[in-house]
Amino acid sequence: MLPAIALLCGLLLSVTGASADFFDLPPLPPPNEYGNLLINRASTANGVKPVTFSHWQHRVKYTCRVCHSELEFNMRANTTEITEMANRKGKYCGACHNGKIAFRHNGNCDKCHNGDIAYGRDKFEMFAKIPYVRTAYGDGINWVESLRTGVINPASYLKMKSNDLPFEKMLILESEMSIIPPSIFPHKAHTAWLDCDSCHPEVFNIKKKTTKHFSMSYILKGQFCGVCHVNVAFPMDDCKRCHPGIRN
Amino acid sequence: MKKLFFVIVLFAGMAGITFAQVGVKKKRQPPYEYGKAIINNYSAKVGLAPVVFDHWVHRSKFTCRLCHMDIGFSMKTGETQLKAADNMRGYFCGTCHNGKMMYGDKKVFEACSKEFTKEDVKRCERCHQAAPNPRKEAEFEKFAEKMPKERYGNGINWEKAEDLGLIKPIDYIAGVSIKKAPLATQKDFALVSKVEGIPDIVFSHKKHTIWNGCEVCHPEIFIGMKKGSDKYTMVDLFQGKYCGVCHDTVAFPQTDCQRCHTKPV
Repeated sequence: MLPAIALLCGLLLSVTGASADFFDLPPLPPPNEYGNLLINRASTANGVKPVTFSHWQHRVKYTCRVCHSELEFNMRANTTEITEMANRKGKYCGACHNGKIAFRHNGNCDKCHNGDIAYGRDKFEMFAKIPYVRTAYGDGINWVESLRTGVINPASYLKMKSNDLPFEKMLILESEMSIIPPSIFPHKAHTAWLDCDSCHPEVFNIKKKTTKHFSMSYILKGQFCGVCHVNVAFPMDDCKRCHPGIRN
Repeated sequence: MKKLFFVIVLFAGMAGITFAQVGVKKKRQPPYEYGKAIINNYSAKVGLAPVVFDHWVHRSKFTCRLCHMDIGFSMKTGETQLKAADNMRGYFCGTCHNGKMMYGDKKVFEACSKEFTKEDVKRCERCHQAAPNPRKEAEFEKFAEKMPKERYGNGINWEKAEDLGLIKPIDYIAGVSIKKAPLATQKDFALVSKVEGIPDIVFSHKKHTIWNGCEVCHPEIFIGMKKGSDKYTMVDLFQGKYCGVCHDTVAFPQTDCQRCHTKPV
């Protein structure tokens, strides 16, 4: 039975030419909307338009850990109790959007509460002139390489400096199917942006080979790597970035 | 009929497996809720809301050792099994919450009583909380503002707060504690990391004994007689054993890796 399935998969792959088509990849927005979201936990209920948020505008200046560790933003949209009051007190968005670091929120309602997911499109066009390292996927920018080569220099903290752990181990992960070359996982590319606890132990167990259900089907549903790599970090249709052995 | 029941159970089980969320990030606990314990051994049975105990209020005034050793609270929520009668006789919460004890110039409110008036209900509700209390949250915010900040847990660096003298946790209550001569604390030492590339842990007894003395940890959590006699890994710790007894529940969470793994590689 198993060899038959493998054969079928092989056939499918050879027909489509790329393994990406084999999986049911979630539909992706255009590059200038990739990583954008509308936050609407309480906005509409309170008579204001949902908040537009663009990851790419923020990650030029700050690493993920600044907002997701220091400023306590949860990883899932609409689960963080961001309120006007909290912002005013200098929490969440208000930590920077106070008129000192970034535009203040009083009098600038429309800049966020506009319900337009593609609000930053003009800024995105300006991005084309900056010599970022490019990619054909996601928002079109290779953030890891841009950071490594120093084109961008995002801050890793606002007020509370952490002693970052310089963990650089490269993992080689066997694929579910023998015909797919193994996946690589560079810790270094991740720790440049994230803290250990961004992934461990909630997303990935720390005990070797005990992370259950760690497979592409779960990842594509937004679990494991999919927590970030279907919505913010480079998307799953960039197969070769993780499985470098895949032939074109 | 039995067959139908079996099928339903099977389907329910399968649905459970399909919808079980693994490999995702949990929602983070807000800073004012970190260290919150809900005690409900007998409350609901007598028609009261469960007791909501906030560690932060207490640790801003007292050491851990005082309640967990001298007064005798267990380290596991609900394990102490205390009753209102215990409090009324001056044990557990009633040690301080007796309506007589003074903290500074403030009288500590009385815990439980057999008879109470309508006005007293408010006092009951200070512990037996049915709904979230926004006043408590505001009190936390006010307190936390003055404290050194930290990224996780309560958002307060308690160690630094004590070090700077912003809080002076009391370690002795007359009639309850026994004054003993302090033991000399061991020098800081390194615990070797098991994964190559992860910095070693610098463990400081001194930082712990201020809050815990010796007896909170030794010999039950760590035998501690001979170096290396306790064998543990991060996996055990994340399961709430060893350091995980406090760190993840009350003391700064273990996800703050860099707080412990500090020795330069």
